[in-house]
Amino acid sequence: MVLESTMICIDNSEWMRNGDYAPSRFQAQADAVNLICGAKTQSNPENTVGVMTMAGKGVRVLVTPTSDLGKILACMHGLEVGAEANLAAAIQVAQLALKHRQNKRQQQRIIVFIGSPVKYDKKVLETIGKKLKKNNVALDVVDFGETDDEKPEKLEALISAVNSSDSSHIVHVPPGENALSDVLISTPIFTGEEGGSGFAASAAAAAATGATGYDFGVDPNVDPELALALRLSMEEERARQEAIAKKAAEESSGETKDHASSSNSDSVMAEAEPASNASADDKRDLPKEDEDAQLLQQALAMSMDEGASGAAAVADAAMAEAGADDDELALALQMSVEDTQMSGQSDMTKVFEDRSFVTSILNSLPGVDPNDPSVKDLLASLNGQGEQEEKKDNSDKPNTPEDGKN
Amino acid sequence: MAACLHDHACEDHNCAADWSLYNHIDIPKVVALNESVPGSVKSVFKPWEQRLETSGGFLESNEGDPELLIFIPFTSDVKIKSISVVGGADGTSPSRMRVFINREGIDFSDAQNMQPVQEWELAENLQGVLEYQTRYSRFQGVANLTLHFPDNFGGDATKIYYIGLRGEATQNKRDVVATIVYEVMPNPSDHKTKSETGGGFSHVE
Repeated sequence: MVLESTMICIDNSEWMRNGDYAPSRFQAQADAVNLICGAKTQSNPENTVGVMTMAGKGVRVLVTPTSDLGKILACMHGLEVGAEANLAAAIQVAQLALKHRQNKRQQQRIIVFIGSPVKYDKKVLETIGKKLKKNNVALDVVDFGETDDEKPEKLEALISAVNSSDSSHIVHVPPGENALSDVLISTPIFTGEEGGSGFAASAAAAAATGATGYDFGVDPNVDPELALALRLSMEEERARQEAIAKKAAEESSGETKDHASSSNSDSVMAEAEPASNASADDKRDLPKEDEDAQLLQQALAMSMDEGASGAAAVADAAMAEAGADDDELALALQMSVEDTQMSGQSDMTKVFEDRSFVTSILNSLPGVDPNDPSVKDLLASLNGQGEQEEKKDNSDKPNTPEDGKN
Repeated sequence: MAACLHDHACEDHNCAADWSLYNHIDIPKVVALNESVPGSVKSVFKPWEQRLETSGGFLESNEGDPELLIFIPFTSDVKIKSISVVGGADGTSPSRMRVFINREGIDFSDAQNMQPVQEWELAENLQGVLEYQTRYSRFQGVANLTLHFPDNFGGDATKIYYIGLRGEATQNKRDVVATIVYEVMPNPSDHKTKSETGGGFSHVE
């Protein structure tokens, strides 16, 4: 949340017509500028951002530092591309614009996009850099577009002259698939020194995993509670897995079965409680059938791999959700927990493997179709065991109501 | 322009008490321009007894550039009688000092162009016994002080180990904005009414 005033210098020289960044260098740059303005103004409401051009009609300030995002975005329209960029003059003008900022408490920062070749000497650039450092102005450079031999070197020299305690950064973006803005999102230019605002972090997650590949298929921005609940239940699963692994190690060294399993089921119940309430409410809202089935598959797979306690946990989570509304189901839940306590390891697995019981549970989950082939396959694999428990549970198994859950 | 030496044995006279204006400096908000180590300027304000100690760090300008600009805000308005500066050896002591009062956001080009409130030719003061008196009438209600050291005695960089201020603190504050609840977005918890916290007539506090 650094209080900052930023001047963004846009390169609108002739070299920006090139299409090696889709759709054109200039467009890619404009997108990146929009994103940066948004991030800066979001990270601290008192931040101001200004925009100026380096080429075109000349070095001119399009909008003086302001916190009004609309004004900033509007000024980017109708910019012409042409002529050559004048880097030295642009930096001087930017410095002057920052000097006359209204709130003197803001830190000064200049962000320069350089897509055209740099015609200045290294020495000149270093002098400019020193002057910026002397006046406590930070500089970020985005090097994209034209690459000749000396450009990266010159710009690195500029940054090292300006840099004081890592406040200035340089990013080299080669042409390629990824949009300029996507590459920039994960850089310190966007995230700042402390490691980022929420805006930057979630946008970074989006960019990193691809457009639809959010964790759990839910955009944390759109539905943060759901995303959080799903993440929590995954983490609890992981914790249980570790507990199982540890328990397995313990048992192989000869602790009593009963002691281990009862203590485990107690802890499992305790863990299921908080998770179930959250997940009960939220899982109802799961929009996508695929994601739901996937999650369930994962959970089922884990329980198969790891054995009783894992299954107990998953069963508890799944059944606790169903049992939230239904007393009969709650009874069934209780009984299945008792089973675990009595007979030890593989009982919960058997309960869970009761095909009809599981099917009824799945019916109650919105968006999960028991006829879904993947679910069917899993159930088939579970079917191999548990004749005993089937009898017992049949007597108690409720008909899961289709009440208000779908 | 006038400097004076302590013409008494410092053990008798309690010099430390005189040079206690550093207590009224708002240290977190002290800013220096052209310092080589960001934040090192804060180590320069300390009790008089520690004026020669360099264990806490000292203020040094960037290589090849002896100019320094120090902005000192106070927690309440002060009156400044005199200023003492301890510089470094081998020509790294500052040779001139120009001060500005109650102006925020001065940078080097401003400092070079503006008329200072007062300026002094400094002498090398490695032991910290020299002090420079101010025209007291001009330094009556000082909320912040800006010191500009344009050059030194020939060294590559300028080093300052201690800056002492002598004077009085008043209880006045220059701006009272700090006591206003300032919010960019409305936050109901900032405005608890009496009806929420107990009985009584409700009014927004």
